[in-house]
Amino acid sequence: MITNIAIGQYYPAESPIHAMDPRVKLIGVIMYISALFMISGIAGYAFIILSIGALIRLSRVPFRFMLKGLRGIMFIMLFTVVLNIFFTPGEKLILQFYFIRITQEGLILAFKMGLRLALLIIGSSLLTLTTSPIELTDALEQLMKPLKRLGVPAHEIAMMMTIALRFIPTLVEEMDKIMKAQTARGADFDTGGIVKKARSLIPLLVPLFISSFRRADELALAMEARCYRGDVNRTRMKELKLSRLDMKAIGFMSLFAAMIAAIRIFLG
Amino acid sequence: MVKGTGIVFKYSEYSEDGSEAQNRPALDGIDINIKKGEFVAILGRNGSGKSTLAKHFNALLLPAEGAVWVNGFNTMDEGSLWNVRQSAGMVFQNPDNQIIATVVEEDVAFGPENLGIDPKEIRRRVEEALNAVQMADHRRSAPHNLSGGQKQRVAIAGVLAMRPNCIILDEPTAMLDPLGRKEVIDTVMRLNREEGITIILITHFMEEAAKADRIVVMDEGRIAMSGTPREVFSHPMNMKRLGLDAPQATELVSEINVELEKLELPLLPIDILTMDEALEAVAARAKPGASPGRRAPKEPPKRSENIIEIKNLTFIYNEGTAFEKKALDDISLNIKKGEFIGIIGHTGSGKSTLIQHMNALIKPVSGQVLLDGEDVFADKGRMKSIRQRVGLVFQYPEHQLFEMTVFKDVAFGPSNMGLPDAQVKERVERALSAVGLGEDVCEKSPFDLSGGQKRRAAIAGVLAMQPDVLILDEPTAGLDPKGRDEILEQIRLMHENLNITVILVSHSMEEIAAHVERVIVANKGKVALTGTPEEVFSHVQELEQMGLAAPQAAYLCQKMRDMGWDAPEGVFSTQDARDVIMPLLA
Repeated sequence: MITNIAIGQYYPAESPIHAMDPRVKLIGVIMYISALFMISGIAGYAFIILSIGALIRLSRVPFRFMLKGLRGIMFIMLFTVVLNIFFTPGEKLILQFYFIRITQEGLILAFKMGLRLALLIIGSSLLTLTTSPIELTDALEQLMKPLKRLGVPAHEIAMMMTIALRFIPTLVEEMDKIMKAQTARGADFDTGGIVKKARSLIPLLVPLFISSFRRADELALAMEARCYRGDVNRTRMKELKLSRLDMKAIGFMSLFAAMIAAIRIFLG
Repeated sequence: MVKGTGIVFKYSEYSEDGSEAQNRPALDGIDINIKKGEFVAILGRNGSGKSTLAKHFNALLLPAEGAVWVNGFNTMDEGSLWNVRQSAGMVFQNPDNQIIATVVEEDVAFGPENLGIDPKEIRRRVEEALNAVQMADHRRSAPHNLSGGQKQRVAIAGVLAMRPNCIILDEPTAMLDPLGRKEVIDTVMRLNREEGITIILITHFMEEAAKADRIVVMDEGRIAMSGTPREVFSHPMNMKRLGLDAPQATELVSEINVELEKLELPLLPIDILTMDEALEAVAARAKPGASPGRRAPKEPPKRSENIIEIKNLTFIYNEGTAFEKKALDDISLNIKKGEFIGIIGHTGSGKSTLIQHMNALIKPVSGQVLLDGEDVFADKGRMKSIRQRVGLVFQYPEHQLFEMTVFKDVAFGPSNMGLPDAQVKERVERALSAVGLGEDVCEKSPFDLSGGQKRRAAIAGVLAMQPDVLILDEPTAGLDPKGRDEILEQIRLMHENLNITVILVSHSMEEIAAHVERVIVANKGKVALTGTPEEVFSHVQELEQMGLAAPQAAYLCQKMRDMGWDAPEGVFSTQDARDVIMPLLA
């Protein structure tokens, strides 16, 4: 059974990072990711590793939870690293074996790419580990608000994300149940070629679709009964307000941006 | 509080050419007046119009004729729509499909947020509402980690936070286990008694309805009966005709009265709702010195050959993670060929995990499951044939229907076995007739069948594989009383006629006691008790500690013994209880 899955893998704890306004965190992560792609030298990497290390300590989330996120993209990381090792043209040959050439440049680039990907995942994990999904959707809604004038349905998008997050565990559980029920009737989801496998999904997907439609129908009714009418005259229990802490964070973020710029200009 | 005059409502259905087909009105001239602070239960078989009526009280539906007033607002008046919905909150049947947010307190805040209430005030109301349903400790929990009863209480809190005068609950307990049902009904009763909130409760459980101030019985879009529970339930024949029951105690008294009438003796008062009241009525009329009837002890059929043997079975969910949970703890038991077994245990006791092991759907962490002496997990290639021999009907099996026609859906199992067409056809026909469906449904879409028919078609889908063992996980969940009786009768006939072993998982002690030869009680991943219904249900205290109970008739006999009568053990049905009591009166 696949229940008890942690969506967004929020790790509850009392820390300044947890307490920050999710909007500030979201902007911070965007800055961090941009910085990752701006730097290339050792100094840049060292500075970023130092910064993220400090933030992780501050967040009180055990480091192994960050690594969990890495496990999911292990394959992509390996692929990138291997690709870079074998296909980077370079001068300083280290090893040649028939058509395979491994050069020093290749090794360095592969290492950098791997490190960059790892830092990318660790940084965004820090956001999802310290911010509950609902805070995250709230932040998105708020940040997209200016786009409303351009006709972007910010509230609706955020509501859809909330509902999607809410129903992932429910549907996973349901899929597990239907799969078992059809297996009990002799269905086979594992063997056969692509066509047979695709066909074998029909007994799984049709009931899942039907039940999703039924759920959507009932949910719409329940929302209506609770006076939902879109973004008309709606308030929120948790208002997003910038606190002293957030001001400090914004200050640090500005310094971070300045440092990255300086490293890029002077150290390359 | 809520008033309706001459409500008529029709669902419009569109036929394939796009024209609107007119069908029988779902509501056909309803006059109803519910006073402030009243607790009204609405009963009626499936399709009687109960839910349609409830949706009118919340302006989710508007009457085609007549009018509905809620708290003085006409629901037809668009300007007061939000007033109507705020004053009459609604709780629905499926707990999963009415919780919107991913955190409990956020969900409770949803209603007030929609009403545009000040954030500080929302916070206060959320706290208040969560306290009122005793869920304050779970305010930061994710809904999918709560039990059914807890989810329904969150849904009630979500309505409460809008400060309604009235709460309408549309079968809020249909999908819950007995503990969850009790949680929800206790909460509703408390809100009614202490906060003075008007309650309109739609239910299929007569014992719940008996707690109301007034019962309204609906049939075919009309109000068939209305009155206090005592008045309404004192017409058991009428209730049967309307596809409903009475509480067990009322049923017992009416059965005694049938006998008394034959003997031309004065009848017992019929306005009785609980076993205590029934006993009082009997005691008042009992002849001094008379002793209660004995019952001939049922000889369970002798069965010797094991079909399923379970040896030291242990299973752990999410082994090695933070969510590790031991579901089965060193279970050993045998099931004999041809036996009719009942498994009881509250949610989380491990009974679902246990039955899924029996047809190799879950692989044990340690231990063995043997089918006719063969380890079901030994050979992966043989699993398919093992699953065919041990048919498993899941809870709400109608949710797995997927084919275009009933015939094709029932044929899914036998076709997967690779049987020739002629044989598949024969099996499908036999399976359908075994569940009491006629050939006329074969070419229908399974989604056009009624709720009870869908469930029977789904059971036929398992039966068509002609299993030696048939396991049913709560086959009567969510059905109305008539549907429940029909399914159980079909299962009894299958066991009798098809010569198969049947394992029935149920929350209803009456169902189990009436049908099975042997009961297995699961608790905390272990087999807590096993034996004939007589043996198991004599351990009342142990059962209660596990969150279970004995059948009501057994409690009655227990109380009779406490009063000094020599009432026998092993009395579970109202018929048996009647035979025990009759000698006292005649």
